[in-house]
Amino acid sequence: MNKLLAVIKREYVQRVRTRFFVIATILGPILMSAFTIVPGMMMMMHSGGPTRIAVIDQTGKIYASLAKDLESGDRPRQLPSPTTAITQPVAPGGSQEQIKQAGQMTRTNFELQQVPGGNQSVDNLKNQLETKIQNREIDGYVFLPADLLKGGRPEYRARNAADLFTREAIQSAIGRAVRSQRLIDAGIQPEEIERASAPVDLRSVGEAGQENQGEAGFFLSLGMGIWIYMSVLLYGQVVLGAVIEEKETRIAEILFSSIRSFPLMMGKLIGVSLVALTQMSIWALAFLGFSAWAAGGPIALPRVPPIVFLYLLVFFLMGYFIYSTVYAVVGSMVTTTQEGGQVAMPIVLMLVAGFFLSFNIIRNPNSPLAFWASLFPFFAPITMLVRIVTETPPLWQILLSLAIGFTTAVGLIWLASRIYRVGMLMYGKKATIPEVMRWVRQS
Amino acid sequence: MDPAPTLILDNISKSFGDFTAVSNLSLQVKPGRVFGLIGPNGAGKTTTIRMIVNITVPDSGRIQLLGQSMTTALQDRIGYLPEERGLYRRMKVGEQLRFFAELKNLTGAEAEARINRWLQKLQLLDWKDKRTKDLSKGMQQKVQFITAVIHEPDLLILDEPFSGLDPVNVELMKETILELKGANKTIILSTHQMEIAEKLCDDVCMINRSRKVLDGRLRDIRRSFAHNAVAIKVEGVDGVLNDPELVASLREVGEEVEVLLAPDANPQTLLKRLVEAGAVIGKFELVEPSLHDIFIQKVREAA
Repeated sequence: MNKLLAVIKREYVQRVRTRFFVIATILGPILMSAFTIVPGMMMMMHSGGPTRIAVIDQTGKIYASLAKDLESGDRPRQLPSPTTAITQPVAPGGSQEQIKQAGQMTRTNFELQQVPGGNQSVDNLKNQLETKIQNREIDGYVFLPADLLKGGRPEYRARNAADLFTREAIQSAIGRAVRSQRLIDAGIQPEEIERASAPVDLRSVGEAGQENQGEAGFFLSLGMGIWIYMSVLLYGQVVLGAVIEEKETRIAEILFSSIRSFPLMMGKLIGVSLVALTQMSIWALAFLGFSAWAAGGPIALPRVPPIVFLYLLVFFLMGYFIYSTVYAVVGSMVTTTQEGGQVAMPIVLMLVAGFFLSFNIIRNPNSPLAFWASLFPFFAPITMLVRIVTETPPLWQILLSLAIGFTTAVGLIWLASRIYRVGMLMYGKKATIPEVMRWVRQS
Repeated sequence: MDPAPTLILDNISKSFGDFTAVSNLSLQVKPGRVFGLIGPNGAGKTTTIRMIVNITVPDSGRIQLLGQSMTTALQDRIGYLPEERGLYRRMKVGEQLRFFAELKNLTGAEAEARINRWLQKLQLLDWKDKRTKDLSKGMQQKVQFITAVIHEPDLLILDEPFSGLDPVNVELMKETILELKGANKTIILSTHQMEIAEKLCDDVCMINRSRKVLDGRLRDIRRSFAHNAVAIKVEGVDGVLNDPELVASLREVGEEVEVLLAPDANPQTLLKRLVEAGAVIGKFELVEPSLHDIFIQKVREAA
C-alpha cells in the first residue's frame, strides 16, 4: 500500500510541477474559448460596413417594402424568433445563442439604393452597376424584372455571390415583398397582411417539462462529447509517454524488483488521473469565478445542471481508465513513441467511432443503437454522456453503463499488468500480438 | 561451522519458448562474502538475477532467501543494481532516491537521513537538488548505486557496478563494497572485469550456455587450475608456443609470457618441447591462472 502511494505521489508531483502542466492549464481554456468565440468574431468582422445593394426595380412596386425589410432588420423570420430566448434564463448552450445573434447582426446591415430606370436599356444599367461593383462603390445589385409579380425571376449579382447569409437574406426579403404585393394586388389591406404574417414561436418542451433549446442542447451534447474525446486522448498519450520513458530508460527493471506490476500500473494511472482532475478543478474554478464576475454582464454563459458535471467527471474517469490502460499496454509493447503512436491507432479509432456515433444518438437518443452503444464500454464514456445531456435515460441504464465500464477497466488493468510486466523487460524490438498472448498465459 | 546461506538456488530452470536461459542451476551464497557470478554474454546471468530479485519466476526449482521461499515481501531485503541503468531523467537526485527508498518501504526522516549520509559518502551531496539528467554518467551511476543500498538490504546484487566509472570512483566503489561485506551483508557481483572480480570475490560461480560450469571458493578454483598455467621467460621458441595442441592461450606480462596449457597438455610436455627446440629458458614456473584465463579456458572448452 505504501508503495502504491509512493508511485501515485511521484507520478502526480512530478507532472503537476512541470512547465508543460502550467502552460496547458493556462492555455487550455483560452484555446477552448477561442474555438468558440473566434468563428463568431470572424462573422462579425466579415461585415465591416453595411452591405451596399443597388436595386433596379422594373415593377416599381417592390423597392419600398424590400428596402424597409432589409434596412430595418426587423423582418419576420422563418425560424422561431430567438428574441424570446434572450429575455428568459438561457438554459444549456447560451453561448451558441450568442453566436447566432452575432450572425444575425451581420444580416441586418444592409444599405439599399434604387437605381433610377430612366430611358436607359437594362443591359446598359447592368453594365454600369458591374463597373460600380468593380470599383467597390457597391457590393452588389438586384435586378427585379417587370414580370416579377407574374413569376419572372429576379437576379442578384455581387462581388461575393457565394456569401450564403447575404444571398439568403435578400432572397427571402424579395419573396416576402413579392408575396405582400401580390396580396395587395388581390385587394387585401396591408394591415391584414401584417397581422396574417405574424411569426409563430414554437415552444419545444422536453419530457421533464423544462423548456428545451433544441439547438443549444445539441451543441452542449456535442461539446461534452468532444471534451471527453479530447481529454481521454490527451491523458492517454501522457500515460503512453510515461510508460515508454520507463521502458526506454530501463527504470522498469528496478521498479519490478521492488513492486508488483498491478500496484505499479494502478499507481501510475491514478497519479495521472489526479493530474487531470487537478487541471479540471482549476478550470472549473476559473469558470465559476468568471461566471460570477460576468453575472448580469453582457456575456450570458451557458447554465448547465450541476448533475451533468458529476456525470462528466465520472464518465471521463471511466473513459480515462479504460483507454489509458490500453495505452499503458501499448507503451510496454513498443520501443519508441512513434511506434507507440502507430500501435495505438486502432484505440484512437474506437474513440473516434464513439464520437461519430454520438451524432446519430443526439438525434435518436432512445434508439436501440443508442442503447447498446452507451453500454459498450469503449463507446460509453462519450455516448452515454451524450444521451444524458440530450435526453436523460433511465437511471438503471446509466448505472449499468458505469458498472460495465468500470468492471471492464479493472479487468483490463489486471490483464494489462501481466502484459506490462513482461513487455517492460523486453528491449530492442516491438512485440507481436501472439507474443503478447503468450505473456498473458505465462506470467 | 559455516553460517546459514543467505540465498539458496535449488535446481532452478527457466526457458523462454524454445530457448533455455537457465537450466538446473543450484548455488548457495553465504553472508559476509562477495559472490562473483560470471559468464560470457547470453550465458543466463541476467535471467538468474531476475529470478533472484523476483522479477521473473523460475519454471522449476526453488529459491530461498534468508531461509524463506521467495515472496514479494522479501524483495525489500534485496538491493539491486541492474546492468541497464535506469533513473528518471527529470527528477531531482534527492527526490529520486526518496522515491526508490519508498518503494522499499523506507520512509520518513530515516530515509532522509540515510540519503544524506550516502550522498555525503559518495561525494554527491552538492548535487542533491540537481536534475538527474544534469549529472555525468559516473555520477548517475553512483546515484543508482545508492538506490540499491539505501534500505540496507541483506542481499545486494550488483550487475556491472564499475562500468562508466573513472579509476578514482572505481576505488571508491570497491571500498564501499568491501565495507558492506564487512557489515556482514551478502553481495552478488556480476561483472566482465575479471581483474576486479579476482580482487573482490570470495566465491565464484561461472555460468555458460545456461549451465553452471564452475562453483566454489575462488582460492580453491585457482589452485585446481594451477597445473594448467606456466609463467616462462624464453627466447627463440615461437613455433612451440604457437602449437594449438599444447597451448590454449598466451599473455605477455612484461618480459614474461603467461602460458595457459591446452586441456590435454601438461607442464612437463611443454618443458620437454621447449628444451628440444633449443630454447634458452630464463624462467619456468607453475602459476595459479588468473580468473581471466580460467574464464577463457572454460568458454573455449564449451565451444
